[in-house]
Amino acid sequence: MSSLRLLASAARRAPSALTLGRRGYAEASDKIKLSLVLPHQPIFTSTDVVQVNICAATGDMGILANHVPSIEPLRPGVVEVVESSGSKKWFVSGGFATVHPGNKLTVNVVEAAPLEDFSAEAIRTNLQEALRVASGNGSEEDKLEARIEADVYEALQHALSK
Amino acid sequence: MLARRTLARAPSALSGAGPGNARNMATLREIELRLKSVKNIEKITKSMKMIASTKLAKAQRAMAAGKEYGIANSEVFANSTSAASAPNNKLFIVISSDKGLCGGIHSSVTKATRRAFAGSADSPLLNEERKPVEVDAASPIMVIGDKSKAQLLRSMSGNLRMTFNQIGRDVPTFADAAGVADLVIKSGVPYDSVVLVYNKFVSAISYEPAAMEVRGEAGLKESEGFKAYEMEDDFTKDLAEFSLANAIFAALTEAHACEISARRNAMDNASNNAKDMIGSLQMQYNRGRQAAITNELVDIITGASAL
Repeated sequence: MSSLRLLASAARRAPSALTLGRRGYAEASDKIKLSLVLPHQPIFTSTDVVQVNICAATGDMGILANHVPSIEPLRPGVVEVVESSGSKKWFVSGGFATVHPGNKLTVNVVEAAPLEDFSAEAIRTNLQEALRVASGNGSEEDKLEARIEADVYEALQHALSK
Repeated sequence: MLARRTLARAPSALSGAGPGNARNMATLREIELRLKSVKNIEKITKSMKMIASTKLAKAQRAMAAGKEYGIANSEVFANSTSAASAPNNKLFIVISSDKGLCGGIHSSVTKATRRAFAGSADSPLLNEERKPVEVDAASPIMVIGDKSKAQLLRSMSGNLRMTFNQIGRDVPTFADAAGVADLVIKSGVPYDSVVLVYNKFVSAISYEPAAMEVRGEAGLKESEGFKAYEMEDDFTKDLAEFSLANAIFAALTEAHACEISARRNAMDNASNNAKDMIGSLQMQYNRGRQAAITNELVDIITGASAL
């Protein structure tokens, strides 16, 4: 009796394992094709993912499949990609995320790195350096650049402390 | 015995100064010099080929990444084609580099630009029906790289607005592309769309000129497809500027990979030609030398037998 039950449970489990491995039309509809690319390295190229959380200039947002086409500029912050196998976070320096008709999302960013790769020490020292330049007496352009740099470091610090 | 030998040598030394033999000796010397210089050239081309080969792998990696970046970037343009192909102002950016010795890379883009302006059937700029797009003859041109600049100055000097150099010595970075895009925008040249003319990487041994169109702010706004996108604020200007830098970056990396692979091939061919030349020159030299020796022997023997 117990062996019969085991067989039945195994039989029940088998199809679900199959659907996980298989890529079909039904599943594609609740996934979105993501291209997350850097100039020097593509991270995702037309990969099916479940959800992408971005920090747009107008506020944080999560993008699921069949999102309405839209264009969002990114501010420095965390991009989280949720796949069926788990999620991963990247810190991006800025760029554009565009949802296209046809269930496609492209994220072009200038620089990005996995969140766990950052060293809190280095951020602190660099932030101090940037703040020093920003409040120093350089040219207006230098100061503005340092201000932007400091903003990125502050965002990074904030993202790490979460 | 000694006297005979000196006697025998004297006529040959005399005949060596004669007109026929003198030319022979001179050509031998000449061949030797040419052989030496060709051997040196072969060494140079061979090492240039080795350098290009090692750079090629790096350039191709950069191109693969840059291409993905470009594809993601151009998605929005692919979706926002304008229904009415209004005769818009195009700004041409021709992408080549400063260095030569890489086959027809630079003249390829120059010729493609001329074809685009002439609207000929094999123009790189085609519309949806694969017909060449009409280009205003007064469209502004900007050139990246000294080589194509020199070529375009000859025929289209009136259209040139700005040129860049020192880009593409090494694998192009995003900062290079952003700098170019910044200067293009700051230059104040009005445009609705930017056409990038660059070399497209087909395979390690071939490339072809291609054109990539990037719409500017005004061009994007008037396109039908672009209105489908939602925006909370108006980011069109930012998007247009960022896309321009991205597109320039993608084109730069691809053109760079083409250039390096073309240089590798050109230097490979040059080394092979040098090798052929060395073979034939060596043969000629050896034959000449043998002929001179035979001549001298004949002189000696006839001199000896005459006694």
